[in-house]
Amino acid sequence: MYAWIWRQLPGPLAVRAVTALLLVVGVIALLLFVIFPAVEPLLPFGDPTLE
Amino acid sequence: MVSLDTPPQAPPPERRSGRLRAVLRGFGEGLITLGLVVLLFVFYEVQVTSWFSARQQADATQRLRDRWREVSPEARAPDPIPGRGFARLYVPALGSGFPFTVLEGTDQETLAAGPGHYTGTALPGERGNFALAGHRSGRMAPFGDLDRLDSCDAVVVETATEWYVYRVLPLRDEAADWDPETAPERCAGAAPIGGPYREVFGRSIVEPQRREVIHPVPGVPRGTVPEQWRSRLITLTTCHPRYSAEKRMIVHGVLTKRYPKVAERPDLRPPELDG
Repeated sequence: MYAWIWRQLPGPLAVRAVTALLLVVGVIALLLFVIFPAVEPLLPFGDPTLE
Repeated sequence: MVSLDTPPQAPPPERRSGRLRAVLRGFGEGLITLGLVVLLFVFYEVQVTSWFSARQQADATQRLRDRWREVSPEARAPDPIPGRGFARLYVPALGSGFPFTVLEGTDQETLAAGPGHYTGTALPGERGNFALAGHRSGRMAPFGDLDRLDSCDAVVVETATEWYVYRVLPLRDEAADWDPETAPERCAGAAPIGGPYREVFGRSIVEPQRREVIHPVPGVPRGTVPEQWRSRLITLTTCHPRYSAEKRMIVHGVLTKRYPKVAERPDLRPPELDG
């Protein structure tokens, strides 16, 4: 999977490396700022109040 | 010369094993990725939520300061507004992190900004039970170290007009043979209360459904004890054990002192804040 993505990246090695890095950062940001906040309320921890 | 009209055939064996290898590798990479995502989620829960919360807490604090500037200490403290800060909470024994601005309400959004006040319970200094909830882990974990609180530790609440010094009640194993004569000086006023309060201890672990711990008299049905007989308690609730929401840790304290604020001397602070 990762080898395939790497092959799809255009340009010389340096450009590919930078693109790959940006992709990784983008995925992390998507997880931290969009997906995790959305998923979190569905998980059974963190509620400190009485029911 | 290659014949073009040979019919297509199954790929040679080495190509097939190559494809199998690609599938297995993809599966393996997927598992590794999943593991990294889970690790990232732990980091998010513990750390990233705290960054978000720090910002919301700072906003709430700033708005509270602005609001307090308009209130003369001689006036009555204004009523809390849902989702907004209305008091400051100091726990000198827990050190760093405090004080926190306390907000009105205990919905998840409010609690993300700081400790929240169970709406309908007493306000600071009132008879009854001033009850607060706060996160134990993540979101700045205002109540993360509640388990380190000892009997007689000060829990100080600042409102627009007053300072209230509560002290943690004796713990279950201390209460039976508590002697106010020999107790340390700082424990003045924090002896077991007795009467309807005989089952109220400094710290306990309860099921999340035990809402009666935030009743005006904890554990006693509402309305049983007339208002003028009620003590002035503070109750802090948080998750237990840490990183879980299976149970709740409850800390009860009792009001031992109050200091009115003085308009001309805004720098005056209760001595209890220093330990």
